[in-house]
Amino acid sequence: MPGFDFSNYNRNLALHAQGVPLPKATSTGTTIVGCIYDGGVVIAADTRATAGPIVADKNCEKLHYIAPQIWCAGAGTAADTEFTTALISSQLELHALSTGRKPRVVTCMTMLKQHLFRYQGHIGAYLVVAGCDPTGTHLFTVHAHGSTDKLPYVTMGSGSLAAMSVFESQWKPDLNEEEAIKLASNAILAGVWNDLGSGSNVDVAVITKDKTTLKRNYITPNEKSAKLQSYRFPKGTTAVLNEKIIKKDDIGRYVSVQEVPVEGGDKMEVDA
Amino acid sequence: MFMARSEYDRGINTFSPEGRLFQVEYSLEAIKLGSTAIGVATSEGVILGVEKRVTSTLLETSSVEKIVEIDRHIGCAMSGLQADARSMVEHARVECQSHSFNYNEPLGVESTTQAICDLALRFGEGAEGEETIMSRPFGVALLIAGHDENGPQLFHAEPSGTFYRYDAKAIGSGSEGAQAELQNEYHKSLTLEDAETLVLKTLKQVMEEKLDHKNVQLASVTKDKGFRIYTDEEMAEVVERLPAN
Amino acid sequence: MSAMFSQNPVMNGPNYSFSDAPRTNNGEFREHRFNPYSDNGGSTLAIAGADFCIMAGDTRHTSGYSINSRMAPKVFRIGGSNSDQSDATIALSVCGFAADGNALRDQLDTVCKIYRYRHGKPMSVHACAKRLSTILYNKRFFPYYTHAMLGGIDEEGKGAVYSYDPVGSYEREQCRAGGAAASLIMPFLDSNVNFKNQYVPGSGVGHELKERERHPLSRPVVETIVKDAFDGAVERHIEVGDNLQMMVITKDGIEEIMLPLKKD
Repeated sequence: MPGFDFSNYNRNLALHAQGVPLPKATSTGTTIVGCIYDGGVVIAADTRATAGPIVADKNCEKLHYIAPQIWCAGAGTAADTEFTTALISSQLELHALSTGRKPRVVTCMTMLKQHLFRYQGHIGAYLVVAGCDPTGTHLFTVHAHGSTDKLPYVTMGSGSLAAMSVFESQWKPDLNEEEAIKLASNAILAGVWNDLGSGSNVDVAVITKDKTTLKRNYITPNEKSAKLQSYRFPKGTTAVLNEKIIKKDDIGRYVSVQEVPVEGGDKMEVDA
Repeated sequence: MFMARSEYDRGINTFSPEGRLFQVEYSLEAIKLGSTAIGVATSEGVILGVEKRVTSTLLETSSVEKIVEIDRHIGCAMSGLQADARSMVEHARVECQSHSFNYNEPLGVESTTQAICDLALRFGEGAEGEETIMSRPFGVALLIAGHDENGPQLFHAEPSGTFYRYDAKAIGSGSEGAQAELQNEYHKSLTLEDAETLVLKTLKQVMEEKLDHKNVQLASVTKDKGFRIYTDEEMAEVVERLPAN
Repeated sequence: MSAMFSQNPVMNGPNYSFSDAPRTNNGEFREHRFNPYSDNGGSTLAIAGADFCIMAGDTRHTSGYSINSRMAPKVFRIGGSNSDQSDATIALSVCGFAADGNALRDQLDTVCKIYRYRHGKPMSVHACAKRLSTILYNKRFFPYYTHAMLGGIDEEGKGAVYSYDPVGSYEREQCRAGGAAASLIMPFLDSNVNFKNQYVPGSGVGHELKERERHPLSRPVVETIVKDAFDGAVERHIEVGDNLQMMVITKDGIEEIMLPLKKD
């Protein structure tokens, strides 16, 4: 990692002293949980991203890939969780390649905490790290300042208390996979309903020593209600003061034009 | 009425064993000494009329103010101690302004009358911490004329703090004779012009001086024009109309 | 040498303890502060029709990221002659700091009741609107932290909506959104109630285009717009949700409707 660019630091400090507020980072508000069971580990997350009181993304992904058998749920500053997990993921891949062994969850956790500690909490990533490796099944939390925990069930994010209340009242040792998924998703739902920073859907990832199953939008209890009338405007409602049409052939003289096939997949949801 | 003066005359807020407040009753007597004032309510509006006692030929009659404006839609005529009426009218004016400031609507005629009567019993020693403003009851009665959403109205307010609504009412020294005259002459279908004539005709009967346009004063309250005191020209016109006898 | 024994702090003599009171990073004294206000989120909406008026609000009551209540109404009947307000003809909605909203509602209701006793008639929405303004301005330097709106039927039988700032500036309007999601809902109302920036297709060219004409909306259309406005606000604002409370004010009185909203 080449490191951060601090060249604007002094300028921003001066601006801040003059009363210019810091730009608002997208926070993942968030409820994330993890739970070990007999034969694997399950992690789950809600899908709401917020910017202050506004919902920035109704269906974002908070379960991040680290390695095939190691996944990470992230809370805190969206960009920090995204970049930190991607960075460690790539370092871990290189590590696996150079050692010729499958990456271990402790290794991942150690790299994360060392990275985060170095930045003294300025990287706002709060993570639940889970996975299976040759040493067994593991579940950790990593805080932005670099501290870690190893526990059979964990919660993080603004909905952590709501989620933990579910674990504390319903968790028991020796859960099976089905029970663990149920418990983890119920814990997320507690956050979805009772924490304003969390909402929308439940994502679940189940990791066993053989495979990882990502259950994207495992539960969708918050479908948007249909509008009661159409808000379509008749064509010509907007005044057009002047019109100039530039054909593809004309613009092609200044820039190169390339046909891009419309891809399916995660399209933004829009009204018909 | 005039029983021997007793200790119950001393505390002005003290009931006599017969259940009377002497000072309040005496204040009603003060009004009977006052100049006559008459009010007549019609469906078109209310007319107020007073006699100005011109005690000297040197008196500037326009300085005798016995009919005053309370708000654009309410006015009043007085009989008795004029100085006392000042503080009542001032209070009523403040209440009207305060109401239209707070509610963006004129204060009702009955509510204005009530506001004035709320003052009437604020005399005497009063309880600890309670604000009293006067050492004796008011010595003046008012005829309050106004127009609101309930139409034209006429009220009579006494120093005792009671008030009644009237179709036609006379107060002051000539009130007994005048009231009897009103009783005979009043009917529901009077026009405003009829009322002007009736008021002056009645005043003429009870006045000691000969009525002319200088020693009487008229005012009207109507829906369109609100409260208005008649100008000298208008007065002369109405006096002109009076049947000679 | 005498300076050594001086009592003067500047000359290093005995000193007062407050000279080392806590300071901020900028070297200024750090003051203890009492913050009497909080924000309980939620949103309100009022639309006037030809002969009716709808006041609406969600029922969520929040503090930070927590939900204190899923059923805390923000729209109230005002000035009825009895405690259940069954004969009220005016509705008040308050948004912002809920404790101030409740205090304001109680004060206005008391004023309406006293008015009824004093003047022997219920207060008109016009008079109530002015009185609410003076109540708010009376606390000019310690304001009620609320966005208030008043709805009713005016003396001509038309629907009336009045909206206020926290210190009593007010205006009669066709429609208004208030509270947390006001900035989300208001543009929607500009478009769908006042038909702003819309022209009649084909009615001219450029500046000659005719504006789409405004007309009073029917009650079912207004109810639909209110519901859709809140469904939209719930999608994008975390402090709005749980239930939608609607009060429909007509000449026959006030009808209350409660509809579910999303609860996440």
